[in-house]
Amino acid sequence: MPAYHSSFLSDTDVRIIGNFGLLPLRTRTRGPAYTLPLLGPEDDEIHVDPESESYDILDETLVLFRANTLFRNFEIKGPADRVLIYGILFISECLGKIKPNMSGREAEKALNTLALEHFALPGDPTFPLNALFAPARDRNEADTLRQYISQIRQELTIRLLSRVYFDSATTPSKWWLSFTKRKFMGKNL
Amino acid sequence: MSASQTPAVVMDNGTGYSKLGFAGNDAPSWVFPTAIATKAAAGGGSGGGRPAVAQKPSFLTGGAGPSGHLSSKRGTEDLDFFIGDEALNAAKGPGYGIDYPIRHGQIENWDHMERFWQSSIFKYLRVEPEDHYFLLTEPPLNPPESRESTAEIMFESFNCAGLYIAVQAVLALAASWTSSKVQDRSLTGTVIDSGDGVTHVIPVAEGYVIGSSIRSIPIAGRDITYFVQSLLRDRGEPDSSLKTAESIKEEFCYVCPDIVKEFSKYDREPDKFQKYVVDQGAGRKVTVDVGYERFLAPEIFFNPEINSSDFLTPLPEVVDGVIQSSPIDVRKGLYKNIVLSGGSTLYKDFGRRLQRDIRHLVDARIRLSEQRAGTSVRSSGLEVSVITHKRQRYGPWFGGSLLGQTPEFRSYCHTKQEYDEIGPSIVRRFALLGGPGGNA
Repeated sequence: MPAYHSSFLSDTDVRIIGNFGLLPLRTRTRGPAYTLPLLGPEDDEIHVDPESESYDILDETLVLFRANTLFRNFEIKGPADRVLIYGILFISECLGKIKPNMSGREAEKALNTLALEHFALPGDPTFPLNALFAPARDRNEADTLRQYISQIRQELTIRLLSRVYFDSATTPSKWWLSFTKRKFMGKNL
Repeated sequence: MSASQTPAVVMDNGTGYSKLGFAGNDAPSWVFPTAIATKAAAGGGSGGGRPAVAQKPSFLTGGAGPSGHLSSKRGTEDLDFFIGDEALNAAKGPGYGIDYPIRHGQIENWDHMERFWQSSIFKYLRVEPEDHYFLLTEPPLNPPESRESTAEIMFESFNCAGLYIAVQAVLALAASWTSSKVQDRSLTGTVIDSGDGVTHVIPVAEGYVIGSSIRSIPIAGRDITYFVQSLLRDRGEPDSSLKTAESIKEEFCYVCPDIVKEFSKYDREPDKFQKYVVDQGAGRKVTVDVGYERFLAPEIFFNPEINSSDFLTPLPEVVDGVIQSSPIDVRKGLYKNIVLSGGSTLYKDFGRRLQRDIRHLVDARIRLSEQRAGTSVRSSGLEVSVITHKRQRYGPWFGGSLLGQTPEFRSYCHTKQEYDEIGPSIVRRFALLGGPGGNA
């Protein structure tokens, strides 16, 4: 049983830039993503039901992160898997920034900076996965892709923090931090 | 007392541990490392008199070492040795070198093995060999020469009454007869034997090992321990010694159906996380949290990728491959009777997961061939059954105990008298114990 794939591979009517799928997201940050309805106050934000209409690729990324990050090989089956890969590698990067003595506030600050700082796009010389990700065709597409990935980064930090600081607002969960040293596909962003 | 009334002695000498006891018993009377500690001379000729402080283990210098000091051997040095746990203790001090006479299941150092048996029989079991029949075990594909050497030692050095040498995998099959899932007591099946060092998958048809199809996997108990240790270290637990990792492995680990679901389960049920208290000695106690390693550690059998990048084939695929490479007329029986043996198969639900994964592989193949055939002919399916039973840990020994207590056991043995008449070559062949015709 190899690493887990995205269940959004079957969504074929999404916009694709390069070979990166612009899947719908449940987020308040503005950008090109089609937005899904936000969760109600009574919904469990950590375990969103995969059947719910609010369930998005980022929920799935966070669920699959701990299992997939143990694997070194991953066969890409479609544009949704590339979103999954990017998400998992970004989570790894975030966990690397959270130090064991950081409070929730400090971690939030550190991750927000990380999410908003300049990042490489597929095709840029510093992007680590150029063998697997195709570049955007023109400036316009590249801009859209940058905005979309920026949405992913911001939304992922919010959701990751609520999991890492689930038990305590002052100390991060050591169970999540123990995955810092693992490298999905042997890569990092 | 004559040898026909005393219980047979069952000795299963494995690479790691030796299991000794009497036929008819539920468990071996002695289980200790197959290790022998001898005086420094055996370690590599550092001279008899000088205390060898930095002893080289004798496997580095090739067994018994040079026999240069014959005169010094005339004394009592021959008797100055320890086996088992005592050997490990003695080797910690000066003057003794440790040797593991069995490597990869086969006896490599006959001189040490003879002394190991001598001590096993007289010091541990405390029996007179001429009053007992002996049932010994051998690995699959053991050369007949090595069987002859064993007989020479057993008959000529120890003068034992009778001897039977059985293949470990066949005995493991016999041990599974205690399971309620087994009805027909056949000696056809696939044995998965996983100890500390290596895991073997051995197909057996009617009591005979299909040698060309045996596969071994470099994942076993020790690798799981190392993996637990690496997870403890990733988390920065206060104690991540091998001993702690081993205890956690033995006490807490189990096999889960799906790791993603299991991670989510741990989020919802915090009591899945456990605590293990390590006594570091001198009154110091530290608490180690036990978490995901509970199900991740045995997972390396099913997803070897998460541990190493050298070996990537999951155990269920290896088992399927072994059976597919066996003769076609026995495959059905091999799928139907997959028997577990050895300490690293004891995890909860190990058999269940293995059975499910193998069944998936088999079903997928059947569906594919149905599609290719294109007709409306449907396969009736293939039964895949993994047998888990209570005697798994010392499977081969228990199988020996079971077969050694049967009334016909002695007639299958070669006796001292037969050995004297014909010579060592007599042990090249043994009639199949517990096979068709026997009513074991």
